[in-house]
Amino acid sequence: MASEARDRRRAVVTGLGAVSACGWGVAALRAGLRSGRTAIGPFQRFDHRRHRTHVAAEAPPGPPPWFVRGPRWERLSLADRFAVFAAREALGQSGLAAPLGERAAGVFFASSTGGLLESERYFARLLPPGPRPPLRWMASQEINGPGDAVARDLAVTGPVQTLSSACASGALALEAALAAIRSGEVDLAVAGGSDSLCEITYAGFNSLRAVDEAPCRPFREDRAGLSIGEGAGVLVLESLDHARARGAVSLAELAGAGGSCDASHMTAPHPQGAGAALAVTRALADAGKGPGAIDFVNAHGTGTPLNDVAEFAGLESALGPRAREVPLTSTKGVVGHLLGSSGALEAVATVLGLCDREVHPTPGGGRVDPEIHARLVLETPLAVPQARAALSTSLAFGGCNVALVLTREE
Amino acid sequence: MTVAVVTGVGAVGSFGCGRAALAEALRTSHATVSEVDRSGGYHLPESARTAALAAGADLAAWVPPSAGRRMSPPSKLAVAAARMALEEAGPSTPAAEDGLTEVVLATAFGPASFTERLLRTILAEGPESASPFLFTECVANAPAAQVAIACQARGPNITVTQREAGALIALGRAASDVAAGTVTRALAGAVDETTPLVHAVLDRYQALSRPSAEGGERARPFDRRRSGFLVGEGAAVLVVEDQAAARAREAPVLARVRAWGSGFDPTASRVSWGRGHEPLARALRRMLDRAGLSPRELDLVVSGASGSVAGDRLEAHTLHAAWGDDPLPPVLAPKAVVGEYGGGQLAAAVLAATGAEFGPTPGFEVFDPDLRVVPHAGGPLGGPRRVLVSGLAGGGAAAWVVLERP
Repeated sequence: MASEARDRRRAVVTGLGAVSACGWGVAALRAGLRSGRTAIGPFQRFDHRRHRTHVAAEAPPGPPPWFVRGPRWERLSLADRFAVFAAREALGQSGLAAPLGERAAGVFFASSTGGLLESERYFARLLPPGPRPPLRWMASQEINGPGDAVARDLAVTGPVQTLSSACASGALALEAALAAIRSGEVDLAVAGGSDSLCEITYAGFNSLRAVDEAPCRPFREDRAGLSIGEGAGVLVLESLDHARARGAVSLAELAGAGGSCDASHMTAPHPQGAGAALAVTRALADAGKGPGAIDFVNAHGTGTPLNDVAEFAGLESALGPRAREVPLTSTKGVVGHLLGSSGALEAVATVLGLCDREVHPTPGGGRVDPEIHARLVLETPLAVPQARAALSTSLAFGGCNVALVLTREE
Repeated sequence: MTVAVVTGVGAVGSFGCGRAALAEALRTSHATVSEVDRSGGYHLPESARTAALAAGADLAAWVPPSAGRRMSPPSKLAVAAARMALEEAGPSTPAAEDGLTEVVLATAFGPASFTERLLRTILAEGPESASPFLFTECVANAPAAQVAIACQARGPNITVTQREAGALIALGRAASDVAAGTVTRALAGAVDETTPLVHAVLDRYQALSRPSAEGGERARPFDRRRSGFLVGEGAAVLVVEDQAAARAREAPVLARVRAWGSGFDPTASRVSWGRGHEPLARALRRMLDRAGLSPRELDLVVSGASGSVAGDRLEAHTLHAAWGDDPLPPVLAPKAVVGEYGGGQLAAAVLAATGAEFGPTPGFEVFDPDLRVVPHAGGPLGGPRRVLVSGLAGGGAAAWVVLERP
């Protein structure tokens, strides 16, 4: 397996972009992750007075004034805007610029709800008698909206795919980009995900009693649910040869990916994390790595009682004793659960950890769940000067699991 | 690399359930349409009135009512189609028996009826009235997850949301993973439901065919008088597996998946088709080049043309640009029978690759000199060796697959 991994085209990360409750841009995300403070709190995105809970991880107003808005900007949904901003930021860091049409480039994107926030507004106005709402509110309602908006903005002519497998979508998009680079279909991939807060998901997760009334506390003993967030994470992936040929700086390598399905329940994870374990095992094999090579884990870590236990059980099954030794963090403790884009944003956070050689803390306070024998990174960043490889996991509704192995390029 | 082949087809649509029902509809060029419920008040007075709805399909043989009550309509359609496909692929393919089975399903709009019901409840009765069942079944990947549960498919579970290109992206992904050996087999396809709200919104975008002077609404692929498409619903699922494994167990090999690829037209608006046929033709040619094929080696095109004014124009211009000075092979436009969405075109393409008979293209009567395509007029197709399947999506995405006779 290791030799097979060496023979394939390799995919390196040359650019990062992000929008989150920490702010617009990777710098804001990096500062937020290092701060040890949660960005989850009161929010304004919609009127939530009648909802059960009242916190979320809302992105601040944006984009920043220096960002050049295109002519179509005003017609974009909020999720589209997050996506376009993050994609341009990532592309800028990689040293590339639109149009990408003459390059063998593709867009591999994820979203769980697309422009549902705007669709809700349309529907709310459509129901009562009276003037019909403007059709443009529905113009970006489709789930493929953010990915298509990025492709149009960058004038991409290669493959464009949107994946929507709930909370694993972002990681699936990266996995699809990796496959396209390995196969030679593209040399360059803009891969990521975007989602905005909306009322259906907020009410829906509340109907499952899966939302914490306070900011989420992944892996803590008193955790009581997740916190919903919004934003986008984008990575520019290139074949190693393509990146080297143009002198691009490689931030990390996407060395492997693996997917699986619990095939047992629509919402509850497999209690022993069997599907998660399979995804991790497949990702490690794909990367040609053993459990001992993993230096930290960016866990899915939602903060729901069932998920965190099942996820760690899956990690123990896949990593063996290493699961209890390896530093573990959850980005959701800082920026909440970005649903379809969470896997992409957490991949951005994982690359930052590899670049900065530190694992960001998981805010939340309180004792780590004694049933979860994880080496959770608590209130301050943990230096990992020798870190060369990290694992990022995404576990979704429907039992859909994806694991990514990111490494420092060797 | 191994070779990915199709060994089973499951299909549900307005034509009924199963491959035989679909084949009969395509042979007779008969589109089963019905009136869309307009009682919700979503439609404008002069809007389109019909769709190719699958509401009458009896799925009980594949989805017992006790299981179906916990599923959205698209989940039921997808599970039924998946089970049909597995039945056809042979009794020795229970998905969990050996190896890993992947599920890759495309959907344009997801479980639209449950999403609408959930939102209506939230708006009318308040968020605390939201049903957890409706919520878990309104996510786009609910059908793929239900297929995995029903068929015990523990491999990657992927939902593609790329409108009219999604089904072919899904098949390409499945074929790629089977060929690479990362999964043993895949259940690949598409599912969609058409609700009155979806129908009304598509109509407001002028995407649907309107009543003509001759009366009735007709999708007219490639016809100069085309005014929009016939929206459909349903599911199509293919069993994709390694050719050697299929032959070893003497499974029926329906088609080989020879090539797959995709592209994007950045000139497209958010909701419609653009005019970027040149870059799309280059993407199509790149796909063929990677597979060592030229357009001359393709004997048949199963077009995604649906009667859409802009979509058919882009399809025709892309095909002509890809073929250059060479004449196009015969072109089928099955969406005039099965409707847009729900995977009917995908299942029809597999039938075409097996040499099935197709009747004349419904609605085509007047040649469009801008498009320069005369779709199939009925009669034998001569057992095509290779079939190009084309799917260009509103919004800009595009995907193609080449199916080959085994």
